[in-house]
Formats: sequence, structure tokens, C-alpha cells
Amino acid sequence: MQIYTIEAILLIFLILITICIIYERDLLSAIMTYSAFSFCAVLMYLMMGSPDVAFTEVVVGTVSTIFYVIALKKLDRWCK
Amino acid sequence: MMKDPFGGILLNIAFRVLVPFTLVYAVYVLVLGETSPGGGFQAGVVMGFGIVLARLILGERATIFNIQMKNSLVLAGCGTFIYTLAGWLTLFGGGKFLDYSFMPVHMEPAHEMHALGILMIEIGVTICVMMTILNIMDAVVERSDDDGRAE
Repeated sequence: MQIYTIEAILLIFLILITICIIYERDLLSAIMTYSAFSFCAVLMYLMMGSPDVAFTEVVVGTVSTIFYVIALKKLDRWCK
Repeated sequence: MMKDPFGGILLNIAFRVLVPFTLVYAVYVLVLGETSPGGGFQAGVVMGFGIVLARLILGERATIFNIQMKNSLVLAGCGTFIYTLAGWLTLFGGGKFLDYSFMPVHMEPAHEMHALGILMIEIGVTICVMMTILNIMDAVVERSDDDGRAE
């Protein structure tokens, strides 16, 4: 019963974070919120019993965050 | 290569610890991928992440990790070739594609040959993924450098 509760909380977190990313006007803040999304997804994968997928998600989430920051370096930070 | 790297004095010192440990950890993930979480894809991304880290911190001074865009594409193809070569070796040995019991080298326990074949394809996947990561980074950095010059 408790594990379902934690999974439900994590799923609600995922949905809320996604809504935050969609409506965010600051692109750097959106990237950081995306890494929070990645972290919640990692916790979900670990809870479902697949540490392999969780490891992949950790690594790919980190690298894609770095790519977004590099791309943002020459862009306008505020989305109009 | 990045025109203006992210480095400061703190990152330049952390670089000496972070990058070698990241690369060695990638090899650890690659070799222990059979019995623990990890494998070729994860090892490739971690290894590419180490080199991306060096390029971010040092910028144009990272001459050791200066793999050009053309070379990284060719090396990614080489990784795929190693994967396919493992499959074709078992075909020539008389088995099916990626049937490790028919590897041309003969070892006494059968699972040793399985381990050898799996290690071979994981090395291929590692090289392919690492070079693809470097290629993506080169593409992103080149485009952003071009934009900076146009302004």
C-alpha cells in the first residue's frame, strides 16, 4: 500500500513539473526544472525495479542538460 | 571547439579529479556490465560525458580530447562495424548471427566465450555512443559559435 502511495506522489510530481516546464518563460529555469523531471523519473524507474533503465536515465539526463545549457549560452535567456 | 569555455579557477582544479575518475568509471561500468547495472550504452555516455566535461572546462586548450567532427563520425561507424564483426565471426564459425557458442576462439567453459562475445559487442556500442555524443556536442557548439560571430 505504501509503495503505491509513493508512486502516486511521484507521478503527480512528474505531471506538475511538466506543466511548470511548459509554462516557464525563463529558459534556464526550464532546463533546471527538466533535470528535476529526470530525477523524479529515475526514482520511478528504481521503484519499478529496473536499475539499468534508471542508470541510463541518470546519465542521459545529465548529458542532455549540459547540451541545453551549451545551446542556451548564445541564445536569449527569456522566451518572448 | 568552444570559443569561451566555462572554466574558472575552481573548475580548472576540479577538472584534474573529475575527468580521470569519470573515464575510469566508464571502463568499470563497461567491464562489469554483465553482472551489475550498466553496459555498453551507459559506459559510452559516461565516457563521452568525461570528454565533454574536459572540453567545457578547458575549451580550445583541451588538445588531448580534440577529436574533429569528421573523425568522430568515422569512429562511430567503426564502433558499429565492431558490433557487426562479432556477429559475422559467429556466422563464419557455423552458428547463427550473434550466437556466441560458435566464436572462432575456443575456451573451455562455454560461458567464457559468451562473455568474450558480449564484451566485444559492448565495446562496439561504447565507441559508437561516445563518438555520437561528441558529434552532437560539436554540432551544438559549432552552431552557437556561428551565431556569436554573426551578431
